[in-house]
Amino acid sequence: MLGLKALVALMILSLLAGPSLAAQSETAGTERVQVRLLSDRAGVVPGKAFTLALEQNIVPGWHTYWLNPGDSGLPTEIDWQLPEGARAGPILWPHPHRFDVGPITNYGFSDRVALLSEIVPPENLQPGDSFPIRAQVRWLVCEEICIPEEAELALTLPAVATLGEAVQHPALEAARSDIPVASPWASVTRQAGERVELHLDLPPATLDSVIEAAFFPDAWGQILHSGEQRLWTGQSGLVLSLEPDTGFDPSRTPLRGVLVLTERLADGSESHRALTLEAKIEQGAMSTATATEAGGTLSALPLGTAARFSDVGFLPALLFALLGGIVLNLMPCVFPVLSIKILSLSQQLGGDRRHMRRHGFVYTLGVLVSFAAVGGLLLSLRAGGEALGWGFQFQSPTFVLLMALLFFALGLMLSGVFSLGSALIGIGAGLGDKPGLSGSFFTGVLATLAATPCTAPFMGAAIGFAVTASPPLAMAVFLSLGLGLALPYLLLTLMPQALRWLPKPGAWMERLKQLLAFPLFGAAIWLVWVLALQSGADGVLAVLAAMLVLAFAAWLFQATRGLKRTGRLAATASAVLLLLASVFAAPGLLPARTTAVASAVSDGSIESKPFSPERVAALRAEGQPVFVNFTAAWCITCLVNEEIAFRDEEVARAFADAEVTYLKADWTNRDPVIAEALAAYGRSGVPLYLLYPAGGGEAAVLPQILTVGGVLEALQAASNRPPLRQAGAMQ
Amino acid sequence: MSKLMRFAAAAAFSLVSLTGLDAAPAVNQPAPGFTATTAKGETLSLEDLAGKTVILEWTNHLCPFVGKHYGSGNMQALQQEMTEKDIVWLQVISSAPGKQGYVEGPEAIVLNKGRSARPSGTLLDPAGTLGRAYAALVTPQMYIIDPQGSLLYTGGIDSIPSANPADIPSATNYVREAMTAIEAGKPVPNPVTRAYGCTVKYAPSS
Repeated sequence: MLGLKALVALMILSLLAGPSLAAQSETAGTERVQVRLLSDRAGVVPGKAFTLALEQNIVPGWHTYWLNPGDSGLPTEIDWQLPEGARAGPILWPHPHRFDVGPITNYGFSDRVALLSEIVPPENLQPGDSFPIRAQVRWLVCEEICIPEEAELALTLPAVATLGEAVQHPALEAARSDIPVASPWASVTRQAGERVELHLDLPPATLDSVIEAAFFPDAWGQILHSGEQRLWTGQSGLVLSLEPDTGFDPSRTPLRGVLVLTERLADGSESHRALTLEAKIEQGAMSTATATEAGGTLSALPLGTAARFSDVGFLPALLFALLGGIVLNLMPCVFPVLSIKILSLSQQLGGDRRHMRRHGFVYTLGVLVSFAAVGGLLLSLRAGGEALGWGFQFQSPTFVLLMALLFFALGLMLSGVFSLGSALIGIGAGLGDKPGLSGSFFTGVLATLAATPCTAPFMGAAIGFAVTASPPLAMAVFLSLGLGLALPYLLLTLMPQALRWLPKPGAWMERLKQLLAFPLFGAAIWLVWVLALQSGADGVLAVLAAMLVLAFAAWLFQATRGLKRTGRLAATASAVLLLLASVFAAPGLLPARTTAVASAVSDGSIESKPFSPERVAALRAEGQPVFVNFTAAWCITCLVNEEIAFRDEEVARAFADAEVTYLKADWTNRDPVIAEALAAYGRSGVPLYLLYPAGGGEAAVLPQILTVGGVLEALQAASNRPPLRQAGAMQ
Repeated sequence: MSKLMRFAAAAAFSLVSLTGLDAAPAVNQPAPGFTATTAKGETLSLEDLAGKTVILEWTNHLCPFVGKHYGSGNMQALQQEMTEKDIVWLQVISSAPGKQGYVEGPEAIVLNKGRSARPSGTLLDPAGTLGRAYAALVTPQMYIIDPQGSLLYTGGIDSIPSANPADIPSATNYVREAMTAIEAGKPVPNPVTRAYGCTVKYAPSS
C-alpha cells in the first residue's frame, strides 16, 4: 500500500517537468520585490528535515534587510503555516551587505537573496499524503524611500518514503555558501582608546590573502553601523578597529555578529568567507600593541578599509611618532617657542634662501640631537634599572627651576627689557661664529625641552612602545618623534613660497614679539607652581629670588649699553655674574629633600586617596569599583582633563553614586611604584586613567582626553547598577 | 591658576573639536541647541523654550512608519495628551528639497490640519542641520528635553518595530512611559531605545 502511494507520487512528479521545477511555489510580490518558495527536496519524509528557501528578487537600487537592519529598516519576516506537528526553524541568514544612505547605514540584500529555513514534517505524515506549506511573508524594501510589503506563498510537497536527492538550484547553492559558519579561529576584543578592536587569530596563509574585512553586529547597540572599520594585519592575526556605540562596553558584553573576509586567491579571483563570532574582552595584561591606539585617535591617518599595517610593526610606530611630533607643535608649551621661531623666519623673508634652509636644518638638528639625548639618557637609565618615563626630567625640581628661569628670561627679552644683538633668540648667540645659526640649534633644543611634559595624547602609546622596545628601535622612534616636531618649521624654510602667507615685516613685528612674551611668562608661572608642589614655599622663594636677580641683570645689561667701552664691559660682566649666581645658587636654595606634596591638583568635591597597588588589590578583592588617575603637576594634558572632567559636579555625584573609590597616583616626583604600574599598561608617561568595574574584572582604560560624558558613561558601566542603555526594542 | 587652566582647557577643546566627529547626543546631557524656522515662518530656538519640557518628533508624512502612527490616530492622541500638559511638541522635517517628505511651511500646516495633528509647531530643517545635530536617523524618532535643557529620552515611538498599526495597542509607548516617569520624578526607565522607521531623507552631506 505504501509502495503504491509512493509509486503514484513518483509518477505525478515525473509528469511535471523534472524535480527542480516541482519544488517551487508560484511567484508573488510587488513591482519591487518578487518572492517565491523553493524546496531542496522534491518530496518530504516524515520527521526528516529539509530546507525551504524564500527567494527575493529585488529590482536594482532597492534593498531588503538583514537580521540587524542597521540604522533603520526591518528584517524580513516569515510566518509559516504548516500542518499540525510540523516545525519550522528560524531564518538562516546569509551574510549581509552594507548600504550607506547619506549618514545612515543599513545592512541587507540587493538583487537576489534566498533566506533558508529548516522544516521538519511531522512523524505521523504518511508517504503519499501531501504536505501543504503556506508562508505569510513581510518585508521592508527601501531605495531612498521605504515601502513595507507582504505576500502569501503556498507550496504543496508530496510525502515520500525516502528522502530523494537534493534539488540542485543555483539560488539554494548560493544561499548555502553565503551562510556564515562558526569561526574556527579564536577572537577577542580589546579596548583601544575610544575604539574597540576585534582580534582574530588567523593563520598566516589565510591572513596574507585577506584584502578586506567587514564586521556586522547581530544586534543594535554594539558598534556604530555607519562607523569606519579599519583593518590591520600583522603577525598576531587580523585586527579590525571598530567604533563602539555609546554605552557599549566590550568588557561586559561580548561583541557578536558576522565577520566577512574578502580574500584574493592565488588565481587573482576574490572570494568571501563569512564567520559568526562572539568575541569577549581579552583577559590578562594589555599587549604592547597599544601603538594601534594612536591610530585609533588620529583621524588624519590615511587608513582605508584595506590599509595594511603590521600589528605592532616598526613602521607604524615610526609613523605614530612622526604624527605625534607634528601635533606637539600645537601644544601650549611648544607653541610660543615656535611662534618666536616663525617670527624670526618672517624677518628673513626675502633674504638668502640658502641661509634660510640652513636655519631649518640646524633647527631640525637641534631637535633631533635633544631627542636623541633625552631618549638615550632615558634608555641608559632604564637599562640601569631606574624607574623613569617620558617627561622624567620634570621630576627634578632643579630642572623645573631652571626651565622657569629660562622662560622668564626669554619673556624679558621679548618684552624688550633687554636685547641680545641681531639674533632674536639670544641663547647661544655668542657661542658660534655664525650668529643666528646656533640660535636655531638652541631653539630646537628648547622646543624639545618644552615639549616633553606635554605628552600629547597621540604620543603616549608610541613612546610606551619605544621604551619597551629594543634600544635601536626605541631610538628610531624617538628620532621620528623629533623629526615630527621639527617638520613644520623645516618645511617652511624649504618652501619659501609658503612664507608668503606670512605678513610683511614691519613695526607690528616688534609688538608681536612683545605680545609673545606673555605666553612665556605664563609658562614660567606654571613651572613655579609645579616647583611649589615639588619643593614647597622654599622652592618658590628660591625661584622668585632668582627671577629678581635675573631681571636686575637684564635691566643692568640693557641700561649700560650707552656707556663707554669699559663701563659697558664692566656692566656686562656684572650682569653675567648675576645671571650665573642666580642660576647656580637658586637650586642650592631648594629644600634638600623633595617630598611628595599632598595633592597636585584639586579634584573638586571628589574625595581622593593616594594610589598604591596594595590598596587597589584590597578594594578589588572587596568587589569595589576603583578609579585610578595617574597624573603629574607638570603634565598639561592631565591638568586639562582634571579641570574638564573631574571638577564637574555631575561627575563628582556620579563617583559618589557608583561608590567608586578614586585613587590618585601622583607622579609629579619620581616614584618607582607608579612607574611600574604605568609600565604594566604599556605606558611610560601620564596621563593614564583606569577604571576597575564593580565585582572584579579587568580595568577599562579611559581615553587620554577626557570628557564629562565619557567619564559618566564609564562610571555607569563600572557601577553595580544596570546599564543606562536598554538592550533595545528589537531582539 | 584656575583661569590659566580654563584657558588651557579651552585651547585643548578647540583642538579636539577640530578632529571630533558628530556623535549622538547623550541622555542626561544638555540637548544640542538649535534655531530653526517654523512652518508659520517664525524663528524658534531651544533657548526660547527654557522652562518648558520639549518633545521633538522627526517626521516625514510619506513614510509608512509615520503613516502607521498618524493613520491610526496614535500620534495625534499623544500630541494632544502632551500639549494639554503645557509640553511643547515640535515636529521636525529634515527631508531635503526633492526628497520624500519635503514640504514648505504652508503645506506642513495643511497636512497637519488634514490629519488633525496637534503639535505645538513644526520645524523646517531642509538642510538637515538640526537632524544631524541630534543624529536623527529615522522617522518617527523622538526626543524629550527637560525644562533645564537636558536630554531625557532619545529613541523610538514605541517598542514594536513594524509598519502594522495593529501592533500599536500591544506596544509600550516609550514617550508616554518616559513622561509618566518624569512627572513622577523618577528616572526614565528606557532612556535610549532603538528608533525604527524610514531613514531621514537628508540632503547629501556637503
